[in-house]
Amino acid sequence: MPQSIKRYSYITDRLALVDGKTLPVAAAEATEEGNFLTLLYRSLGIDYPKFFKMDSLSKLGFLASELILKDESPRFTPREDVAVVCLNRSSSLSTDVQHQASIQHEDSCYPSPSVFVYTLPNIVAGEIAIRNKLLGETSFYVCREWSAQLLLRMASLSFCDACTRAVLAAWVERFDGVSEAFMMLVERDGLSGIPFSAEHVEMLYQNTKTQNT
Amino acid sequence: MEELILQLKQEIIKVLNLEDVKPETIADDAPLFGDGLGLDSIDALELIVLMEKTYGIKLEDPARGREIFKSIRVMAEYIHANRRK
Amino acid sequence: MIAWAGDNIISSLGFTTEACYRSVEAGRSGVRLHSPFMGLAEPLMASLIDREQLNDSFAAAYSSSDGYTALEKAAILSVGRAAAQAQVDLSDPGVLLVFSSTKGNVHLLDENESQPHREHIYLWHTARLIAERFKNPNEPVAISNACISGGCAQIVAMRELESGLYHHVVVVGVEMLSKFIVSGFQSLKALSPEPCRPFDAARAGLNLGEAAATIVYQRVDREEKSGDVALLRGAVRNDANHISGPSRTGEGSLLALQALLREVARSDVAFINAHGTATAYNDDMEATAITRAGLHATAVNSLKGNFGHTLGAAGVLESIISAHALKRGALLPTCGFKAGGGELRLNVLDKAGRTEKPYCIKMLSGFGGCNAALLFKYVKEERPCRNP
Repeated sequence: MPQSIKRYSYITDRLALVDGKTLPVAAAEATEEGNFLTLLYRSLGIDYPKFFKMDSLSKLGFLASELILKDESPRFTPREDVAVVCLNRSSSLSTDVQHQASIQHEDSCYPSPSVFVYTLPNIVAGEIAIRNKLLGETSFYVCREWSAQLLLRMASLSFCDACTRAVLAAWVERFDGVSEAFMMLVERDGLSGIPFSAEHVEMLYQNTKTQNT
Repeated sequence: MEELILQLKQEIIKVLNLEDVKPETIADDAPLFGDGLGLDSIDALELIVLMEKTYGIKLEDPARGREIFKSIRVMAEYIHANRRK
Repeated sequence: MIAWAGDNIISSLGFTTEACYRSVEAGRSGVRLHSPFMGLAEPLMASLIDREQLNDSFAAAYSSSDGYTALEKAAILSVGRAAAQAQVDLSDPGVLLVFSSTKGNVHLLDENESQPHREHIYLWHTARLIAERFKNPNEPVAISNACISGGCAQIVAMRELESGLYHHVVVVGVEMLSKFIVSGFQSLKALSPEPCRPFDAARAGLNLGEAAATIVYQRVDREEKSGDVALLRGAVRNDANHISGPSRTGEGSLLALQALLREVARSDVAFINAHGTATAYNDDMEATAITRAGLHATAVNSLKGNFGHTLGAAGVLESIISAHALKRGALLPTCGFKAGGGELRLNVLDKAGRTEKPYCIKMLSGFGGCNAALLFKYVKEERPCRNP
């Protein structure tokens, strides 16, 4: 049976969508840039204080996964058959810059351990795994630009592990004024859903992105 | 001492991103680690940075943190006795 | 079958695999105390690539340096040497490059660095530069999965080869140190001021290291024959526990090990080359996972005492040394280990030995809760099939 996309989500620093539909969330309240993710978190009624300790890349990926998984049942039971695969352009550079600023001047060199741990892009995949008790494969790849083809290929690589029955596949980018997460829940034996092909992934991404502008 | 305790609570909330915690909800003698505030090993390391950056106290052995970060009061007393800033 | 076709290591212990292997065999370490550099305030116990030797070797091999960073030079030099050994033409569209690094050229974020080409801070850009240097027409895969990256890169290679799109995949792992990396590990209180002591009761943290390491894998559509080293299996699993603290139960590592051992008898495993960073928690976690996987009697070693922790290069570098050991029937000693301790006792190799067994396992763990394990096989001689 072919792989299919069960749900997908899209988040920027101004709006959030699930399956192409804009969430009523806070869109009007989100006056300040950057606080949208906190408003979105609050609107979802999640009680997960670790959220506030995450860097912005992890917050983006975390919320994208919450939008997709919030109605899944059962949740939070340990499972090995779900993989998390993320891609972006800028790795963890948005947080790297923060760590660099803390060590730039010798007279005030106080690197923060809680910033440094986020100077690895794959932490976002780890945060999603921890939240949902996903014991499967977690991977992070870096590429020049958004590519539906590459996202498809990397998610497909995770299906090469016979254990993997579903993949959370995401583009999560945060740097240089860009803040964007596009995530899909792809199932190996999806009974319904959108075919997991480069054309469909590109279409979903572009359609959702257009609503953003 | 009470002033230092309040200041310390505010600083801890800020550096550990305890978004939904208010200074008045942290009891002076409650354990910082374990169930209390849900702090972890990175938070402990972050408190070591706080001690050095704000109070000029260097803790080379992270294991020492376990005694010093027992509660806000124990931490405040240690800072009071050892601060250089 | 995914077969080994060539390799190279560039590290503090030499610029060829053979030189590095001989050093490990003899129990030598490339870790030493370096006077403050890169803007660091204090001396650093670390394993560093000699910059002068790197520049000289690069200049000897390539006429133009094209403004490459030290990291790019090391990676290009390593890929070039491994490809030459494997007799692979990298400009062939059937060859894919897989690049592994945690931080790439992150030192360029420093205000004091001259930055003629800001794009060098992007990992994908570094991967492209390497591919372009050898006129490889394919977009390289760049993986950044913390300290298991070098293991993941090999798993990607295996899967890409099995897909049939490529006949060779070149996996390169590279990491160079910077104030960025060192200060971060200092803030985590993870560094040992002394040469590290993996699995030792008195271990006090890790040493950082630099390396560029390359493996060329090849898909061969025939039965295995004597002399082959094959990458049989690889698995990545997450602890789903904590972003930086290793799982107390070793959950992810255990699951990764179990995924490898479905069709292999534990008694056929010659040795496990552990991640063995020499931090208290990592080594305990691995001991727990190895014991829970029923491998407590299997010989275990760590190469961190020789090379330090080379982060995104570690998985590639340590797989190379391990594969060569397997091929030579050698059990390599754990540099820095004297006596174990704690509740879990592993069969840690404190001196060199011999083995006749056909399999070895490479284990890796990293921040983000990720763990990887790889299973290698050396085909010593034609054997009759045990299960006709």
